[in-house]
Amino acid sequence: MSATNILISGVGGQGLVIATHILANAAFQEGYDIKTSDVIGLSQRGGMVWGSVRFGAKVHSALIPDGECDILMAMEALEGLRWVKMLKPSAKVILATEKTYPNRVLIEKDEYPAAIEDQLNQLGLAVFPVKAQEEAKRLGNIKASNMLQLGMLSTLLPFAKATWIDVISSSVPKSTINVNLAAFDKGIELTAKRI
Amino acid sequence: MSTKQVMTGNEAVARGFWEAGGMIASSYPGSPTVQMMDTLKQYPEIFAEWGTNEKVALEIAIGGSIAGARSMVSMKHVGINIASDPLMTFTQVRTKGGFLLVVGDDPGLTSSQNEQDSRFWGKFANMAVLEPANPQEVKDYMLEGLRISENYHTPVLIRLTSRLCHCRGIVALGERQQPQVEGFVEDQARYCMLPPYANQQQYFMQERMHKLQAYNNEFELNSLEEIEGADALIITSGMPYENIKEVNPKASILKLGMIWPLPMENISKLSAKYNKIIVVEELLPFIEDALKSHGIKAEGKKYFSFTGEFTVGSIKKSFKEAGIDFAGSDALASDLIDSTQLPKLPPRTPMLCAGCPHRPIFDILKKARATVVGDIGCYSLGILEPFEVHKTNISMGASLGMALGMAASHSLSDKKKPIVATIGDGTFFHSGMTGFVQLAQTRENITVLVLDNRTTAMTGGQITPTTADYFKEKDYYTVSIPDILRAYGIQDITVVDQFKYQETKEAISAAMKREGLSVVVTTRPCALNFKVKQPHYYVDDKICISCRSCVKTNCPPISMELYEGKDKKNSYINPDMCVGCSVCSQVCPVGAIKCSVDNKQQGGI
Repeated sequence: MSATNILISGVGGQGLVIATHILANAAFQEGYDIKTSDVIGLSQRGGMVWGSVRFGAKVHSALIPDGECDILMAMEALEGLRWVKMLKPSAKVILATEKTYPNRVLIEKDEYPAAIEDQLNQLGLAVFPVKAQEEAKRLGNIKASNMLQLGMLSTLLPFAKATWIDVISSSVPKSTINVNLAAFDKGIELTAKRI
Repeated sequence: MSTKQVMTGNEAVARGFWEAGGMIASSYPGSPTVQMMDTLKQYPEIFAEWGTNEKVALEIAIGGSIAGARSMVSMKHVGINIASDPLMTFTQVRTKGGFLLVVGDDPGLTSSQNEQDSRFWGKFANMAVLEPANPQEVKDYMLEGLRISENYHTPVLIRLTSRLCHCRGIVALGERQQPQVEGFVEDQARYCMLPPYANQQQYFMQERMHKLQAYNNEFELNSLEEIEGADALIITSGMPYENIKEVNPKASILKLGMIWPLPMENISKLSAKYNKIIVVEELLPFIEDALKSHGIKAEGKKYFSFTGEFTVGSIKKSFKEAGIDFAGSDALASDLIDSTQLPKLPPRTPMLCAGCPHRPIFDILKKARATVVGDIGCYSLGILEPFEVHKTNISMGASLGMALGMAASHSLSDKKKPIVATIGDGTFFHSGMTGFVQLAQTRENITVLVLDNRTTAMTGGQITPTTADYFKEKDYYTVSIPDILRAYGIQDITVVDQFKYQETKEAISAAMKREGLSVVVTTRPCALNFKVKQPHYYVDDKICISCRSCVKTNCPPISMELYEGKDKKNSYINPDMCVGCSVCSQVCPVGAIKCSVDNKQQGGI
């Protein structure tokens, strides 16, 4: 069996590292071999961030080869478009549609791309759009948007829900377990509605 | 409890050291190795302390080793430059307690100022170098490295790269070995490195390397995967091995665990069986050149890049050029998504955080058209647009000496103009104090801005000696930078709160006009690390004249937007992102930017 490849992309400060941590541990608890890679460092300062999680019977490289990504979880709209060349034609994209302007857009030297969701659809990708931050804010903590998107992702993966709950509960700060689990559930609910 | 765990390479370093009965660990924060010390600090059996700089950190580990304790020091690649003075002499000593230097190289310079290849230190310092390929191996090699260090009385360098430091994999856990520490035993011939003692150590090191080479010929962490009838032998180590396995070449693979000294005898014998010897190594041809000088017809950099990180894709491309067939999937162009029609996307470069105390300083320096010599830290982002204020960036603490050299050259050639240098508190303590002693009595017109944000911000907010000065509740000793500078005999020191924009602007401008050394110390703490969050500001679009003064301060929440019913854009502040520093409101010429709470003091905490 070849590996399942998941790419998570976003902007520094959105909780991407913990999302890859949770996804990796869920796959591990389900008995898979795993490798992940996060790009961190300068990224906390509003830079581009991405992480990859690969799971399967045996995984060697931590990096996803070009054109072999199965699922992209984009935590910001533009960062959903940036990684298209990594995707399989049959890939699924869980897209947070909210925008965070990069520096050159703020200083009016570049335009923020328009109609990102349409562009992804036109490429034939299966897009699952969500206003992740707005939904998370409604649940009480805007920072739980990463768990909401993981909830959506979980509907596309063969892991037991109990595994997810166990890993999330042991990975986030104790005082935020409830809101994070609520966000995770909301993600599942939103995906079910769409399907 | 599970006996396996998901771990990063960095976490595996700490776990391996703990299992090996390690006791003394130090480090200086630098990407990609920061998380090693963060994790080491969680083990109560280990003395784990950040060093003032890499040199002090390495010296702490030397002390531990000489006292008989298993010791380690971790740092990013450029840190070894600073630590190399004690390293190059300590390596002559017959090591007692196991000593590991764990380094994180950065192929591709994801967060570094250069790309130097640390493997060369092995040759330079006559020590063994181990290179693991995944988190499990990282842990195993920590244990093995300490054994080698004690058996061969050598420091051992464990070389990781950014990708491996931050990569997660499954690691099998072991118990902690109980350390036996003899304590320091006086032996001047062993520990006093001066002639005649140091002379005889040259022979000791030579013999040590011969023994290590013989050991490496039998080393069980080197592995050979032979394919019957294969024409080519691939020699590799570290993470490139995992990417090669993904490509699955039709060639035999020799994976080296110990890459210095090389198992030459073994490789010579093996090479005779193959027509083609291909070395796959990131950065410089370290292994390749050593093999060539031994008469082995190795090739490598002819096909593989000398810079950047290898990927599955880049290895496939190089294998094709080298005539190596592979079985791994090779997606055809028709299998890929055609993204050629997509518009060119704006890059997402790092920028100063909302409420960053460096922002008003860069805004002021840009408007002053100052010649600014930069240094290393978050404030290195002053290089990037729209500020483009820093005109140089070399190494930790370099701004001070450089400012003097530049100012003196200008003076001697009648090109006199004020020189401004910036340095943060972390860099000040790391390697800025010696530079200040040099500058103390200068007559050149130099203004140094000490941006004291009370933390080593760029690497995740480690404490500095000024952290507690601002946060009095912390039980930690405190050092005042102005007091240190006064003790050096520097008198022209101005301390400013940079969120009082006009006052700060005037102080910097006046300092730049004064001859000799002037110092301006700014006092606002890092907004990110100390989670500063004040009531947000907003733009009254009825007053805004679209002049973009606020946008030019380059704060993440501030953009130009079209308000309803208007045909010209006005500035807008995203309330979820604004932390209320007030700087934008102070640069607004018409008072259009207001606080969401009435009567709030400017930038007050």
